[in-house]
Amino acid sequence: MIRALTRHTRVAATLLMALLLSSCGSGSGASTPPPPPSAAAPPTTAELVAASRFAANATFGLAFGDIEVLAAEGRDAWLDRQFSLPVGSHTPIVADLVQRRDAGEFAQFEQDIEYLILFRRLAWWHQTVTAPDALRQRVAFALSEIFVVSDNVDSLIINPFALSGYYDMLLKNAFGNFRNLLRDVTLHPAMGIYLSHVNNRKSDPANNIFPDENYAREVMQLFSIGLFELNLDGSQKLDSDGRPIATYTNTEIREFAKIFTGLSFGGPNAAFGNPLPDFLSPMQMFEAQHEAGQKRLLNGTVVPAGQSGVADIESALDNLFHHPNVGPFIGKQLIQRLVTSNPSPAYIERVARAFNGDITGVRGDMRAVIRAILTDPEAIALPSAASNFGKLREPVVRYASLLRQFGASSDDGFIANTGYFVQELGKQHPLSAPSVFNFFLPAHSPAGEIAAAGLVAPEFQIATSNSIVGFTNLVDFVVLADFVTDSPPPFAPVSLVYDEYVSIADDVDALLDRLDIVLTAGTLDVATRQAIKATVSDIADLNLRARIAAYMFLISSDYAVRR
Amino acid sequence: MITRRGFLTHSCSLGIASATMASTLLQLGLARTAAAQSAPGYRALVCILLAGGNDSYNMLVPVDNDQYSEYRGIRADLALPQSSVLTLPGTTANGRSYGLHPGMTGLHSLVSNGDAAMMANVGTLLEAFDANAVQNGTAKLPLGLFSHADQISQWQTAVPDRRIAQGWGGRIADLMQGMNVQNGVSMNVSLSGSNVFQSGNDVTEYSIDPTGDGAPGINAYDDGTEFGTFKKLIVDELLSVQQQNIFRREYSQRLRSAIDAQAIFVDALATSPTLNTAFSPGVFSQSLRQIARVIGARDALGAVRQTFFVTVGGWDHHDGVLENQAAMLPAVSAGLQEFRDALVELGVFNEVTTFSTSDFGRTLTSNGKGSDHGWGGHHIVMGGSVNGGSIYGDYPVLSAGNPLDVGRGVYAPTTSVDEYFAELATWFGVPASELDQVLPNVRSFYSPESTLPPVGFMSA
Repeated sequence: MIRALTRHTRVAATLLMALLLSSCGSGSGASTPPPPPSAAAPPTTAELVAASRFAANATFGLAFGDIEVLAAEGRDAWLDRQFSLPVGSHTPIVADLVQRRDAGEFAQFEQDIEYLILFRRLAWWHQTVTAPDALRQRVAFALSEIFVVSDNVDSLIINPFALSGYYDMLLKNAFGNFRNLLRDVTLHPAMGIYLSHVNNRKSDPANNIFPDENYAREVMQLFSIGLFELNLDGSQKLDSDGRPIATYTNTEIREFAKIFTGLSFGGPNAAFGNPLPDFLSPMQMFEAQHEAGQKRLLNGTVVPAGQSGVADIESALDNLFHHPNVGPFIGKQLIQRLVTSNPSPAYIERVARAFNGDITGVRGDMRAVIRAILTDPEAIALPSAASNFGKLREPVVRYASLLRQFGASSDDGFIANTGYFVQELGKQHPLSAPSVFNFFLPAHSPAGEIAAAGLVAPEFQIATSNSIVGFTNLVDFVVLADFVTDSPPPFAPVSLVYDEYVSIADDVDALLDRLDIVLTAGTLDVATRQAIKATVSDIADLNLRARIAAYMFLISSDYAVRR
Repeated sequence: MITRRGFLTHSCSLGIASATMASTLLQLGLARTAAAQSAPGYRALVCILLAGGNDSYNMLVPVDNDQYSEYRGIRADLALPQSSVLTLPGTTANGRSYGLHPGMTGLHSLVSNGDAAMMANVGTLLEAFDANAVQNGTAKLPLGLFSHADQISQWQTAVPDRRIAQGWGGRIADLMQGMNVQNGVSMNVSLSGSNVFQSGNDVTEYSIDPTGDGAPGINAYDDGTEFGTFKKLIVDELLSVQQQNIFRREYSQRLRSAIDAQAIFVDALATSPTLNTAFSPGVFSQSLRQIARVIGARDALGAVRQTFFVTVGGWDHHDGVLENQAAMLPAVSAGLQEFRDALVELGVFNEVTTFSTSDFGRTLTSNGKGSDHGWGGHHIVMGGSVNGGSIYGDYPVLSAGNPLDVGRGVYAPTTSVDEYFAELATWFGVPASELDQVLPNVRSFYSPESTLPPVGFMSA
């Protein structure tokens, strides 16, 4: 095998050199935080590996230099600093692009595609790759997979502020209180459109018209309490017959549906029934269209007749927020989105307690929840070979990490990416899920060994025969052919920077060590390492050696599945 | 989990247990043979999921004056104008008359020609519907009735009282995949990614795209060039690593299987006859076109039985029923007609049965421009072996006091999904003796030993 590799690598080297464009590394790219004061000894490999693991949980990926900084700073200080950074909002970028479009800058390129629909995508990729508030951007993405809105509704594609504004609302609330997040999601016009509670009328029985039940159902099923009563550790409570206990029935849905009536778009032209969205303002209540009378909510709570519509909504959200399910239900999903697919019951309980206010005294404290998730012993420990810790990286995160960890940069300082590439090949894109159930279900368990072991692996739901090959090819295009992003004119193409790897590539072990720290957080399988080492050792050209080594890491199962 | 192959290796040491298991395997083997004999030649099922709950009371509409006025009354602002409905020829057994949504001219031709039929008011049921039991809260209802997640799942699992991950198409494939050449391309092919319908204990779906040849290969892999050979070597080297972690193992296996299956699939697809039938450019039509091409390649694939799965999303019309269906139903109608033409061109129209599914129908009542989650819904069956031209099942008589109405114009189904699926499964070749393995709840509604068909829309 090795001899065969030698012959082929020499020939392949010539071909690949012809294929590779010379990298033009000027222009700004992913910014790094200011280095802490020097004097401490450089971090050990173990410290770097720990920092890399933490970075993979807390961000869309950090390059080696940033991992070194994190290792020196320590998790808690890093978290404190991240919590205090200004929000890297997406809307200002969209606003700037809209202004440029209005000035005619893109007219010549718009024959086949309206650039307006690209702007929220361009903003997302640029910010996700470059914004300093890396933790907040990562948490917002996780929230966007729970509080789902999607561009599979026309009115949310056409106006670029619809989804950028919604995402900014998630960014703003990521480090706040869950109760405020619930309110802001409920009143956001994009959600009003997506789950159809905008312009939702009160009952009109004479005309056989009743309140729309869509938001009432999903705010319970997906955004707060889920389908079944839960213990603090995420396990289902069971009745005396050993069966799970439903949290609500259709009756409660109809009562909650009454609550979410009377809302319409806000802004200067606000009027109930107005079909024209205002995406810059929260939805507004119109009392005349709000269902009167009392509403019977969960756990015996009765919203009295005569409250204003706004007060009704606050009462309903309070009712949900204080349900004991929220901590385990939302906490477990956040663990799954950030850290591992199968957290232990104890891990879930620790996070649920943080949500409940056991640590900071405040129920719904997102900072407490995030800190609990990321600094939990189960998240930090190097997993044993036999443990089931880990998760399959989803295509969006895997691709964003690639851009961040290899210093994506461009001549005009804008990391231009429409995202159609990863959407086509990997079958995933932010805020583009096929339904309010996201791209994959938290309970998805692939048939075979994983199901037999009683484990879930949600991200495998979209790792199908076409997408698994498709994404492997995406890595090929990016790393071997320098086709890094889907950057439309007039934006400068994006390139990656491999210099730091090329500069150590003469020492194959050093090269692989660094890639193992950055990409696989020390969990690279011995046999995989051997395969990569055998291949790249026979490549004389150091540029090519670094590329091939990176490529092999990035398509390996060792990298695809985070441990 | 013991796979069939794994079991056979170890059966010698299991004594009595092996005898029991062996007889079960023998039964399954006999069942497989019986299947082959009961339905010789090629057969395919094409499952179309209208995801979100299609408002099918506006797809199949009462047009006789009496029922239309009931429809109009209950639907309020959602009612289609009577004159716009495409009346279907003939009336049902109870003297009523029905028609299709004005945008479905293609489907209207198909039904009129006898190429398609309508299946009325079918939905998930745990037991026969009892209005009184529903009223007094003693009825055993499907889990999560009215919830998308549960209902879309139950239309695929055919198990209404538990949440499981395998579908009836997967169980059929577990039973019958031995009829096909085992070459790594699953007998269950999906145009819409992984799905519960096609997931069995042994069988999972093979996912392809509606574009190109459907199955992408690794760039340059084994393409005869020096680079391609190098690419193959490094990819194979990586995938040959025995991964210790369960998730990494799964990933490696999936990538390996996908690479290997693609080579076979694309070679087979190259033998498929070029189709003259023109397909619309939208995703649904293109997906059906791709399915037709795969069916055209069935001999090269060594496939005697296949299932196909396509999702059309976006039917959850809590808002804008009229505008949205006006935009979406024509595409479904046109796609079906194009697909039918292509299958006729391939000479397999009698061997392929296409059927629609959806989470549920919707409330007959309006929420002001939209409808909410309902229960029973009307569906489409198409194929050369379908006794076309009729409406099967019982389209409810719409009236204020109809006991089927469980509130807000939600009508309980009058045919269970089990009966609907049993008709399709039986035609596909599932022997009567295996029907309750494939459809665990079927005996609540239909006895597999019966000499009568479950519904009657399939000819032998």
